[in-house]
Amino acid sequence: MKNNETKGFAVNRRQLLVGTGALSLSSLLFPRNASAATGGILRVRSYSDLQVLDPAFMMSQSDQDIMQAIFTKLVARPAGDEWTWAPGDVESIEQLDEKTIAFKLRDQLGFTDGFGQVTADDVKFSFERIADPATGSAYAGDWAVLKEVEVKDTLSGVIHLTGPFAPLWTTTLPGSSGLIVSRKALAEVGGKITTKPVGQSGPYIMKEWQPKQRTVLVKNPDWKYEQGAYDEIHILPIEDEKTAEMGYEAGDLDYTWTAVSSIKRLKENPPADTTVIEKPSLAFVWLGMKNTTAPLDNQNVRRAIQHAIDTAAVVDAAYYGAASTATGIIAPGLSGHRDANLFAYDPDKARELLAAEGAEGITVTLDILNKTERLTAAQVIQANLADVGINCEIRQHDSGTFWNLGGAEADPNFPLQLYLSRFSMYPDPSWATAWFTTEQIGQWNWEHFSSEEFDELNKAGQLELDEAKRDEMYKRMQDIMEESGQYVFLTHEVVGVEYRNSVAPAIMPNAMPLFDKFKPA
Amino acid sequence: MFAYAMRRLGLGATIILVAMMILFSMIYLIPGDPASVALGPRATPEMIAELRSRMGLDDPVLVQFWNFVSSAVQGNLGVEALSGRPVLTVVMEQLPFTLAMVLCSITWAVLLGIPLGCIAAVKRGGFVDRVIGVLSVAVIAVPSFVVAIYALLLFAVHLKWLPAIGAGESGNLKSQLMALILPSLAVGLGWIGYIARLVRASMLETLEAGHIRTARAFGLPERWIIYNYALRIAILPTVTLLGVGIGHMLSSSVFAEIVFARPGIGKLVYEAISTRNYPLVTGAVLVTTAFFVLVNVLADLVIGLLDPRVRASFN
Repeated sequence: MKNNETKGFAVNRRQLLVGTGALSLSSLLFPRNASAATGGILRVRSYSDLQVLDPAFMMSQSDQDIMQAIFTKLVARPAGDEWTWAPGDVESIEQLDEKTIAFKLRDQLGFTDGFGQVTADDVKFSFERIADPATGSAYAGDWAVLKEVEVKDTLSGVIHLTGPFAPLWTTTLPGSSGLIVSRKALAEVGGKITTKPVGQSGPYIMKEWQPKQRTVLVKNPDWKYEQGAYDEIHILPIEDEKTAEMGYEAGDLDYTWTAVSSIKRLKENPPADTTVIEKPSLAFVWLGMKNTTAPLDNQNVRRAIQHAIDTAAVVDAAYYGAASTATGIIAPGLSGHRDANLFAYDPDKARELLAAEGAEGITVTLDILNKTERLTAAQVIQANLADVGINCEIRQHDSGTFWNLGGAEADPNFPLQLYLSRFSMYPDPSWATAWFTTEQIGQWNWEHFSSEEFDELNKAGQLELDEAKRDEMYKRMQDIMEESGQYVFLTHEVVGVEYRNSVAPAIMPNAMPLFDKFKPA
Repeated sequence: MFAYAMRRLGLGATIILVAMMILFSMIYLIPGDPASVALGPRATPEMIAELRSRMGLDDPVLVQFWNFVSSAVQGNLGVEALSGRPVLTVVMEQLPFTLAMVLCSITWAVLLGIPLGCIAAVKRGGFVDRVIGVLSVAVIAVPSFVVAIYALLLFAVHLKWLPAIGAGESGNLKSQLMALILPSLAVGLGWIGYIARLVRASMLETLEAGHIRTARAFGLPERWIIYNYALRIAILPTVTLLGVGIGHMLSSSVFAEIVFARPGIGKLVYEAISTRNYPLVTGAVLVTTAFFVLVNVLADLVIGLLDPRVRASFN
């Protein structure tokens, strides 16, 4: 009787299960939105999760990308195909002479979290803090010639240098070392920002960080100048390029870098509503030769190896025809870029040199990082060397092992001979040459390359403000490197980017993004 | 039962200790300086030395091991040298994502594997049994990452039904569940086959047992006999297998977390090893080992609850 009374509303277990299943199925079958660029949210990929959002201690490009959007700066890096600079959050900035720069901040810049207005004193604190050895910043070299920042009034100040410094306008001021943090905020958090930024002051502020998932930037409600175009920017850390490409194709991303191996395919057959571009990278990849042990202590053997390697074949194979060969360590577009190498591919010459030295049939080791393109490059090099009578044993390492192979505390089980390496770069030639000085032996100069002329030019190059003279100096430095026989310059690589046609990205010449300047197309 | 549980927990603690000793030995046998890897090329030798000191890497290995164990007993797994965040916090942020995926994978495996195994046993030798047999072996044989990539291409890239990457929107349960479907299927698919084969074999053996014949002689319905008498016993090896399987799934989570760009403990450990972030490696491995041991103890206790013969052996 009771059952009959409630029959009209009753749902038995089977009906409930069927109903729930149908509901779930219908929601699953409803296609997801194909584009992620909706509702004012931009979804972009970063190479890695954020680590330290402090200009003095940042760890990666991902940190830098976020910091550029959430902190103010005196000098900005404009998007485009040329490495240049533009005034940042200032009314004026001017180089009075080679040691003096005057600036005046905009008057409505404020820090979040109640830390007040952005002042010239904060500029003084930010720059002098990085330069101070007591801070322990790895970026102290960016302000190596900083004498002091003189505060004129609330918004005005003068940067005094101890001498001219060419990278100041190319890397220091437009880079992370030129970002302004709040003196009061830093005092409150114990002198260092980690993963939770305080005293944010840029057009965007960091609203949320979900470790290993996403970083959410939102428009800064107190920002009085040109507004960011998106309500929110979601930055997703995706290490694997192929995963990012699939995420893009599934509609989970609006902007991503692609794998080099995918560039050709994506350009020929892009996903719907997508633009695919490629940009030259600033990075440099080279084959290094350590000259301290036989047989590579013989310069003619090293020269033979230089002649033996067909760099075009190596780069074509490793980068699927997408990248060009390098003529040095300084990329096109920067002062000091060379037009050609000194020692071309010439296997006959290589055989001749080896025969003259009685070095036919020697065996060398080639250490590489366990990445696909490095292995491919190493295999072509191995074949090139075999062609002239040199046996080459390839040894692969994970990143933790590889990056310790050439330092002072290198594992004696892996004595270096040949190795393939890649350094990333800032847009100033001094950042390419800094690692190959005599002082760097035991740190990053794994070849043990040493040249007094090179060392002197490296110091002089940082002080020279005449672009033409600088160009000659850096070209000469690469000539010296190549003449030593310790280097075969391979490539600067290439960067592929894909993005929705509904997005107008702001990217630097090397495809690094300026997230706060992205706009809907 | 209580004494048995205590004995198992004691054994578990020993296993954790041995695992940590092996881990510490391996860490210090492999080359790579965590301080220089962490700080990058622009760090000076002084900065590297300072970080090494702060990370305790200048101490002898045994001292480092003792420091780690004595702190861990007090619930302190140390701090990440660079971010200054407690390792336990970092690990506990990631662990729920992996556990959710493992739990979901087990759910797939149990919900599909046990019924398929039962059906195959009941229909022994027939067409259905053969189809289930072939399918079971097939899903065991196909590598999980292949399943993952094809599932991703079909359901995320082509059909756009499911997300390809991430763990879903924070605070949005539906989004998080949708993001779990593909990775958990990839991790759990092979286990559907394992469980189906195991349940089938176990059921066949049980269905021949004397008490089942007696039940049939009493005229009890076949479905009642299968689900209330046979399956209850046949499922015991499956419970044991699942206990071990959770450890396997925790390991498998690495590839799923990388392919699907999900957060999780597998990817955390993988990245920590690459950067020689030892405090994070040891902390994460300690937590996952403890979890694995705990699950196996629970599996033993569940078997005791299900099987009076095992329960009797406790005493």
